[in-house]
Amino acid sequence: MKLLVGYTADDRGAEAIELASALVSGTPEAALEIAIVLPATAPFNAVYPGGDHGYSSILSAQVDQWAEQALARVPAGISASGVARSVSSVAEGLIELALEHQADGIVLGGRKRHRAGFFLPGAIANALLHSSPVAVFMSSPPALKTLRNAHGKLTRLTAFVGDRPGAKDVIEQAARIATDCALPLRIATLVLPFDVQDPERDLEAHVQSTRAYLAELTGSMNLDVNIEVVVGRNLDEATAQLSWQPGDLALLGSARLATDRKLFIGPKAQRILGNLSVPMGVIPNPGSNS
Amino acid sequence: MSQDQKQDIQPAAAESGLHDKGLSKGTVGVLGLVVIGISSIAPAYTLTAGLGATVAEVGTSLPAILLAGFLPMLLVALGYRELNNAMPDSGTSFTWATRAFGPMIGWMGGWGLIAATVIVLSNLAAVAVDFFYILLAQLTSHPEIADLTNNLWVNIPTTLVFIAAASYISYRGLNATKAFQYGLVGFQIGVLLLFAIMAFTSDQPFDKTPITLEMFNPAGVESFSAFAAGISLSIFVFWGWDVTLTMNEETTDPKKVPGRGATWTVLLIMALYVAVSLGVLYWAGVGSTGLGAGNPANQESIFAVLSGPVMGPLALLMSLAILSSSAASLQSTMVSPARTLLAMGYYKALPKSFAKISPRFMSPSVATFAAAAAAAGFYVITRLVSENALWDTITALGLMICFYYGLTALACVWYFRGELFASPRNIIFKFLAPLIGGVVLLVMFFATAFESMNPDYGSGSNIRGVGMVFILGVGVLLLGVVLMICMRITQPAFFRAETIKTYKILK
Repeated sequence: MKLLVGYTADDRGAEAIELASALVSGTPEAALEIAIVLPATAPFNAVYPGGDHGYSSILSAQVDQWAEQALARVPAGISASGVARSVSSVAEGLIELALEHQADGIVLGGRKRHRAGFFLPGAIANALLHSSPVAVFMSSPPALKTLRNAHGKLTRLTAFVGDRPGAKDVIEQAARIATDCALPLRIATLVLPFDVQDPERDLEAHVQSTRAYLAELTGSMNLDVNIEVVVGRNLDEATAQLSWQPGDLALLGSARLATDRKLFIGPKAQRILGNLSVPMGVIPNPGSNS
Repeated sequence: MSQDQKQDIQPAAAESGLHDKGLSKGTVGVLGLVVIGISSIAPAYTLTAGLGATVAEVGTSLPAILLAGFLPMLLVALGYRELNNAMPDSGTSFTWATRAFGPMIGWMGGWGLIAATVIVLSNLAAVAVDFFYILLAQLTSHPEIADLTNNLWVNIPTTLVFIAAASYISYRGLNATKAFQYGLVGFQIGVLLLFAIMAFTSDQPFDKTPITLEMFNPAGVESFSAFAAGISLSIFVFWGWDVTLTMNEETTDPKKVPGRGATWTVLLIMALYVAVSLGVLYWAGVGSTGLGAGNPANQESIFAVLSGPVMGPLALLMSLAILSSSAASLQSTMVSPARTLLAMGYYKALPKSFAKISPRFMSPSVATFAAAAAAAGFYVITRLVSENALWDTITALGLMICFYYGLTALACVWYFRGELFASPRNIIFKFLAPLIGGVVLLVMFFATAFESMNPDYGSGSNIRGVGMVFILGVGVLLLGVVLMICMRITQPAFFRAETIKTYKILK
């Protein structure tokens, strides 16, 4: 597996490399592409007096140095190279580079963005979550701590699915990643009372039928997975029912709004992301013809 | 405009000791270059800040001195272009002067540029704040709001907020877009022309002064010292024009676009300056009472006084034009001292922390905030010790520009000393133009510096009988000398020419 790391030369970038290394280590052809994105030259913002002041050459020397430090952070056994590019939008630049380098996903290190207990993706992550053609993996300092508790190794994947037809696509892709990484897969579904007409009477039956549906689906795909159906009065409460272990990684699918082979995070997934304190990934819509 | 910079792990160090830089594709045409040039000049701001002080020196010869002031600017800019073509990667007085004359003079060249930009930043912020309150007063029809700017407890905090905001925007690396610059420049030109037209068609000019050809005669200036002061001020009003000559790879056709862009920019800006200055002379005269342009009370910021009587309710537009042009310049000029400080930190001429680049925003971090702090400090001190801070800073700025421009022009001659007479082209562009320009500017510098010791010089502010302009201008340069000696003692590597090589002779 090959991942593109959106690198900044600070703790966030270091965390992104840690997460990316955990994801690719042990997969065939494990490789990281460390991308440093520079702002585009803006001639209409002419620097006066004095023009460039040697800035671009100093910046490029600095970027070389950063790239060197970044590559030194990548554990042995993973092949890594660095690339730097000036672009007008960071998110667009990362997508462009990911496609060029045929990366399977983009990894970002997020800052601590918990607002009132909720994780909010930053501007760049947010843009990627609404347009990336490849999977996007993110972490935050507390989330990365859980990975470090597992000595930097992933121990389990948890894919969030609904009971709708889209579940099959997400499970397929999650299973592929799990196989690549040689990790056990857990399928989690959140059931809310208003999913059924009369919660008093139908809720338990609905939980049972969902579990049966997922068991049948994964059985038909020859997957050995652990299925968890949790109930809560709302998404926050339901998400809180799930137990997490060190080295967990959460995977979410795109909304059905997403165009083929593009990522577009839905409101539900965004809400779930906000409650997670483990590293997470969002996978694109596989497209109707795949 | 994606700039591919696939990089090796090891920085590619060129033989010169400077690193390589990627190429960017050109997108700027002649019109775009004219817009960039005019936005760098920021005519609405330079006119309000510089016109009054210039009239004080040369009276009705204002148009003549504006035209004459362009000549040394042109000569120096031609030398700049040669240096820029020879060393496109360095692009600053600091590295150029270091390579030509060695570390000590190079250090002072960098300091001169930083000092000039820090002074202009404090002045830009002050003008922006003045017109911010004038605009508020005009919008709310409460004239007393405009007087708030005279209250130091209001003025200084507001100015500090403006400087802080501008430095934060620079640090975040937010860029003005093409549409924004076109709009801003078009608006400025429109409003200034409107002012000129309204001044000439006014029913009751304050002091109707007939326009004569004598106004265009530079020899009509009374004394050499007035001439020197006028020239160094008019250098200030053209400051920014040379950006059009140094833009090469950004243009669609580096052979034709810079030359044409520079020509059109200067023709346009001269027409604008002549129209506005004639308008001011025609409407207000140079009398020293009332609304006369010769009245010292009006000279700090000429449009703050004249736009209301001349333009009536439309004065609102003038306030908006000056506020937007000075605020935009405040932000874009902030980048300049930050980058020179960064370069000086990088080449170990200043403590290493100045070379820090923000990994998130890819902009100088320590250097940007140091530049902002210096501008803020300079403003507060000037405001507290001088009654006419704006006027004195503009005159000190003219002095500083003459210093670093003159030095850089001579650096051009010395840098190319091995090839000056290799071709007729070299004789003109590498020898005569920068030599004459540089000598003229340095003569202006010394003449003005000498004159400014007189306590009556400029606005008449002084400290213990020494003119304020001298204290600001020469004091800042001497501070630079002291700092340089400290640096030489604490980190001598740069001064041993270990970080930037000085050329012995270029063949």
